[in-house]
Amino acid sequence: MSRAEGTTYYDLPVIKEPVWIWAVPAYFYLGGAAGAAAALGSAAQRKSNLRGLVRKCRRIAFAGSLTGAGLLVLDLGRPERFLNMLRVFRPTSAMSMGSWLLATFNGLAGTAVVFDGHGIGEVAGLVAGVAGAPLTGYTGVLLSDTAVPLWQSARSTLPVVFASSGVSAAASLLDLTDLNERERRVVWRFGLAGQAVELAAMTAMEREAHRVESVGRPLKEGLGGSLWKTAKVLTGLSLLLSLVPQSSKRRKLSGVVGSAGAIALRFSVFHAGKASARDPRATFDHQRAGLGAREVV
Amino acid sequence: MTTGFFTDTTVCIGCKACEVACKEWNGLPDDGFVFSGMSYDNTLSLGASTWRHVSFIERPAAISTNTTGVGDFSWLMMSDVCKHCESAACLEVCPTGSIVRTEFDSVFIQPDICNGCGMCVAACPFGVVDRREDDGRAWKCTFCYDRQKDGFTPACAQACPTESIQFGDLDELKEHARARVEDLHARGLHDAYLYGVDAESTPGTGGLNAFFLLVDEPEVYNLPPDPVSSTKKVGRSWRTMGLAAAGLLVAAIASVAADRR
Repeated sequence: MSRAEGTTYYDLPVIKEPVWIWAVPAYFYLGGAAGAAAALGSAAQRKSNLRGLVRKCRRIAFAGSLTGAGLLVLDLGRPERFLNMLRVFRPTSAMSMGSWLLATFNGLAGTAVVFDGHGIGEVAGLVAGVAGAPLTGYTGVLLSDTAVPLWQSARSTLPVVFASSGVSAAASLLDLTDLNERERRVVWRFGLAGQAVELAAMTAMEREAHRVESVGRPLKEGLGGSLWKTAKVLTGLSLLLSLVPQSSKRRKLSGVVGSAGAIALRFSVFHAGKASARDPRATFDHQRAGLGAREVV
Repeated sequence: MTTGFFTDTTVCIGCKACEVACKEWNGLPDDGFVFSGMSYDNTLSLGASTWRHVSFIERPAAISTNTTGVGDFSWLMMSDVCKHCESAACLEVCPTGSIVRTEFDSVFIQPDICNGCGMCVAACPFGVVDRREDDGRAWKCTFCYDRQKDGFTPACAQACPTESIQFGDLDELKEHARARVEDLHARGLHDAYLYGVDAESTPGTGGLNAFFLLVDEPEVYNLPPDPVSSTKKVGRSWRTMGLAAAGLLVAAIASVAADRR
């Protein structure tokens, strides 16, 4: 190896730490829950006996995406210029694609809530479900589309982690509401699938990130690491709670624990990424291990 | 015409005239007056209000071009700047179209469009772009777009007393830089090499319009050894996202359909 091995420039970061604030991971959570809820709502809308569930799903979809969009505007350095997000359509920018997706989804979700029971509302609800699926996962693509070694390194698994956690988040929110027996079963299956895939995807993401020790470290240490462990424990606990015989109380507890887990996950990935950006060795090791340009060019 | 910077670090004397000239011409605010304790470097990094940054490296190694004659010690100095990548991550991820490529092939942030989303800050593989706190927008070296429009040399190159920063037609600069390396090698100074001179040197960015002559590993100068625009790698991420989205829809449909009653 070279004579510069292990060298840094006074341990100063080599890339900039993302300037995003708490509003961004909060949006990741809300947007994920909104997208997954819309998908479940659209799948359920052909069944007349699930009408109550459909309405709840649509409300979560609309409120989640609207609040989420508000949080994103809040994060901007120049919030009054938020409409510039729809100035160009740029496929190479995950944020551009996400802005168009969120704007479209929010319009559809709003239409589905306002025109509930009417033809236009049903069509909007159906299409919102299809748009909602990528809304849960594109945020993982967005983080991978940066120079942050942890996020770039976990680019195959991060979208799956976020999408499955979106399902858990939506199911957990629905668990907090009063549902009839039939609706409960639908939500139970949806949540079970989400949390099982989420836990598996989290393990896969750890593996992907840990190909280089210094790149994966923020998932083990510091604020990001603690939140990561918290997310795992809470999601696992919520999963266990939904596997034991159900009572209304237990279902709500599972919903609270599951929601906390989904929120912890977003903040974990966010803070671990910031820590990764601060560590020059993560960038250097990542690229020296052949995971920089050499991996693709 | 494609113009470029060739920064020859072997002749940099660390005078920081480039830093000062850049601040003066562009009317940039100061970054606070602090002593870092890191050699003569109190600027520390490029940022929203620092578009040239001179690094000072006290290297405990014998490097042919820069030996001091005092044991195994070499003095390395480098004036860092935005690389104006051929394939620029900041431009490709910008969701507002604020970041454009100019007629000089440089990368320029239009301040009247930027809404401060921070995407370019996270995407730059060199840590060049940053958001100014009091202003909310992203800023970086403009390659003196205003000066170049009127046929002037960028302020930093104009001020450099040793021609460590050279400005001109990119192809001519490359030719000149390669000749310089050959000359140094011929004189037995084998540590010299070019960083970012072409797509072969930094394939992840397709080469750099502001490239460097270095005499030690990139890490020593706080430069990434194999920089890459994340947009070249994100295809795989979109594919797994597509699969996950499809899986999500299947899960939703199955959750409903499994209930036969």
